[in-house]
Amino acid sequence: METWKRWNLPKNEGTRVHRIGDRRICVAVDMVGDQYVLAAMALPPEASRGSRLALPSLSDKAWTRFFMDKAEDYELAPAYPPMPTCIRLKQPFSLAPGSTVEGWIFSRIEASILVNGARIASFPLATPYKTLYGSPEAGVICRYDEEEFLAAAEPLASSLHADQRFVAHPVRLRNASAEPVEVSDLCIYGEQLSIVGDEKTMQSERLLFVFSSSGVRMSLDGTTLLPLGSRVMAKPAVSGEERFIVRSFELFKNMTRI
Amino acid sequence: MQATTTLAEAAPEVASAPSRFWEIIPLDNAIFEQLFTVDTAITVARVVLTAALGFIFVGLVITVLRKVVTKRMEARSGGLVVKIAQYLGFAFIAISVLDAAGVNLSALLGAAGIAGIAIGFAAQTSVSNFISGFFIVSEKTFSQGDVIDVDGTSGLVHSIDAMSVKLRTFDNRLIRIPNETLIKSNVKTITRFPIRRLNMDILVTYDTDIERARQVLLELAAAEPNALRSPEPVFMVSGFRDSGIALFFGVWFATNEWFDGNNAMHIAVKKRFDEEGIRFALPTRTVYQGKAVAAPKKPGARRAAAGGPRGNNGS
Repeated sequence: METWKRWNLPKNEGTRVHRIGDRRICVAVDMVGDQYVLAAMALPPEASRGSRLALPSLSDKAWTRFFMDKAEDYELAPAYPPMPTCIRLKQPFSLAPGSTVEGWIFSRIEASILVNGARIASFPLATPYKTLYGSPEAGVICRYDEEEFLAAAEPLASSLHADQRFVAHPVRLRNASAEPVEVSDLCIYGEQLSIVGDEKTMQSERLLFVFSSSGVRMSLDGTTLLPLGSRVMAKPAVSGEERFIVRSFELFKNMTRI
Repeated sequence: MQATTTLAEAAPEVASAPSRFWEIIPLDNAIFEQLFTVDTAITVARVVLTAALGFIFVGLVITVLRKVVTKRMEARSGGLVVKIAQYLGFAFIAISVLDAAGVNLSALLGAAGIAGIAIGFAAQTSVSNFISGFFIVSEKTFSQGDVIDVDGTSGLVHSIDAMSVKLRTFDNRLIRIPNETLIKSNVKTITRFPIRRLNMDILVTYDTDIERARQVLLELAAAEPNALRSPEPVFMVSGFRDSGIALFFGVWFATNEWFDGNNAMHIAVKKRFDEEGIRFALPTRTVYQGKAVAAPKKPGARRAAAGGPRGNNGS
């Protein structure tokens, strides 16, 4: 069943439940005066185990509520988290001086609800953990993900590519320094990327990571060939020159523990 | 004809008015002659021209400086630099104008110097605060909006002024701290870096399995969504105390989430330790209970008790 599409308001059907992986996104309609109010909430996996869903009343704070005005439908779309994502590789590896590796990494997406093209709510599809990427002085707080690195031309070998909760990122890693560099964490800025694909397989533009003795630089890696028949499922949150901003970070050094 | 006669008769009265004016201020007045000379006119023109050119020049410099500092400096520092440049510019105009007017500047500057020393002594604290303000701005230890702690007084930096820094405390009070005090004190900038560690000092009883306690604490940090995965949590056995074993556990949070993380971690630790049967140590004293045992008697003790001290009976 297609999930990422435009849905009409569930006016006469009670609460509509969208199942994405082990998460459920509940959408219901309430009336305030003569206006429709859309209410949405995400249920954690443990809440979905029982045969019957025990949902709080629509006035409960667990629901995100918003006036629909004249809109008659909403769109359920994949989206990047509102902060950068740091992907910790399950198997870190060293990159020889001057070498380049191409491959794929995967990150978790969120389910967002859009009305008239504007994002009004976004729900993580797994418990969102956080981490720091970069140095403690000038690093950035990121969403934490721990996934595999696939050194392959196509990400078909990975089961994550066919998982509705993940988006695949083609990457190019280059070691521009004179010493080997250990690649353990990669940071992506979702706001600069779009999501293209179909219902099950999604991917972003290609990313370039250049490692040097002082740190790492990340940027979009030119144009990317997209799979045939794919459609744009999410546009970048930033536009124009902001998409091509090169982010630089100091490589994380062991800090004094006490 | 009659009308003409009337006019002719009236004419002498009208003509007499200027002569009265010049009676009051005569053309041959010595003061007037001294004031309105060609030299005076040149001096006045020079003063006006100097002032006009000075204002144009200073205005241009200030405009350029304002654009430069807006791009390259933060608002507070930039404003201070522009304000100083304005004062210097006005002083420059004033000196130039006085010089153009032919005023003896050496005497004036000498007098100003003496006055400056007197004012300097009188306004020593204010000057100290003012100069300290420059160091505070140039050191960039904190900026407006940061949370700082000055000798136990913490709050949000409300403004950094020429003489003082104003803090808005968390219970919504405004505290003014003189710049001089800030320069002399240890200032902690709490919001300088993106992450901050929550330090937990935990004292557990001596029967605690320390390895188990460590594992529980690490699990709690891993389960807390706001706790950062990197840098990793820190666990340390601080030492053996009178009442129990002191443990240290540090968990990193984003600085703006430290407060929520602090509450969440303390609640979670208490709850989980209770579940696991790990007890927090309280000040205790160990008391051993047993039977009182008589001390063994020495061989010469009985004789001494019966006879008393030999030297006392005289035998």
